[in-house]
Amino acid sequence: MEIRLRVLLLIAAASLTGCASVRHLLGHHGASAEPVADSRPAAQAPADGETLPSDQPPGADTSQNGDESAPRVIEPQVERRKIKVPRIRSQNIELGGYYGTLNIEDFGAHPVYGVQLGYHITEDIFFQAEAGRSKGGFTSFEKLSNVKLLTEGERWFKYYDLSVGYNLFPGEIFLGRNLAMRSTFFVLAGLGATQFGGDQKFTVNFGAGYKVLPADWIAVHVAVEDRVFDTDLLGVSKLASNLEAHLGATVFFGF
Amino acid sequence: MNAPYLELHTGPGRGYPVFNVVARGDSVDVLKRYTDWYKVRTERGIEGWVAQRDMLSTVLADGSPFTFNLGDRAGFTSHRFEAGVFLYGDYGGASEISAFASYSLTSSLAIELTAGEFLGSASNGTLADIGLAHVFLPEKRFSPFVMLGTGIVHTEPKAQLVQPSDRTDQSAFAGGGFRFYLTRRFFVRGEYRNHIVFTKRNQNEQVDEWKFGFAFFF
Repeated sequence: MEIRLRVLLLIAAASLTGCASVRHLLGHHGASAEPVADSRPAAQAPADGETLPSDQPPGADTSQNGDESAPRVIEPQVERRKIKVPRIRSQNIELGGYYGTLNIEDFGAHPVYGVQLGYHITEDIFFQAEAGRSKGGFTSFEKLSNVKLLTEGERWFKYYDLSVGYNLFPGEIFLGRNLAMRSTFFVLAGLGATQFGGDQKFTVNFGAGYKVLPADWIAVHVAVEDRVFDTDLLGVSKLASNLEAHLGATVFFGF
Repeated sequence: MNAPYLELHTGPGRGYPVFNVVARGDSVDVLKRYTDWYKVRTERGIEGWVAQRDMLSTVLADGSPFTFNLGDRAGFTSHRFEAGVFLYGDYGGASEISAFASYSLTSSLAIELTAGEFLGSASNGTLADIGLAHVFLPEKRFSPFVMLGTGIVHTEPKAQLVQPSDRTDQSAFAGGGFRFYLTRRFFVRGEYRNHIVFTKRNQNEQVDEWKFGFAFFF
């Protein structure tokens, strides 16, 4: 009997101090403490700004904390509509190639080909890098005297340049009634280097061209450029002017 | 669309005619960008080009304004990378073309890589440098800097009678310059470097280098 009383007292003491397993045993459900613990994070969440419904001010929910036993009628599950803005692709980079004729001073006119890479800063201004090559022939002196001034390898005319260009007269061309294509006349000037005759020369280039865009991403152009450098290849120092005319195609892309 | 109307041009340029307008409240899809122009498609499927300043008066579907980071003075003060080309260059009397790229550790300290080619009457050559630059007043439009670094220089002397051999030497440099913010992501940059080339001859060589060019940050 005394043992039973001690066990009962022990159970009573344990249930008062809150031992969870014993409280379940005695049918307690802890209705008094847990809703407070639940409601606090829900009421505070709008303060983060993430789940705040637009029609509910941050302080509106706090009155529920006082009434601890009141059931929650509305769970604020409304989330602000999030919009993911896709990246807008630019088309400022222009990459392509060209083929044409280069008149190497004293060494004749020969085919030239090259690659070009451009970057358009505004609708008017662009930067452009070009690299090309051609192979010179024989001078009149070489043909008449049968003396070779240069080796075969030295006759390669290789150049690169960095230029600034300006779209001078942008417009449209019309093919029939229903087709219009963008077009522009452009000028450019720059600096670079030319390897010819066993020497590398500092080169100034300038030119002009006309470009037509059948679509936004593709362009064809014709251009005439002069590449000028100092040379003493034929004994006297002089300014060599090497005129180039080419037809090219480029594509526009970006990131 | 938040502005009274949005003008659609036939091409990405100020002169291209306006052929259509989008009314307030209508929406457009932005397809792509070419310099300051955006190609958009209207709800009725019409495609045209809209100027940047007009696009800035539109709002996104959630009501926030349409913005596009074009670069500004704040970006000029504090950025991660910059790159550019020096169109004018003088390396010990020879004409020089060079390009540089730099990585900013802080707004005033950057690691810089430079590569260039010089072409002169006495010699041609290439050079590559790595250095540290300290920028004073990075928050100003005009910000000077000083730099210190090392590199290699490959020289191909030109001589008509006796052909000296090509040589590659190590070098060190100290210098200074300025950056001047132009607009958006662009600035001009000018600098002077004093190189000491550690030659294999009895005397080291001193070379003055002056450069001026365009650069952008991102």
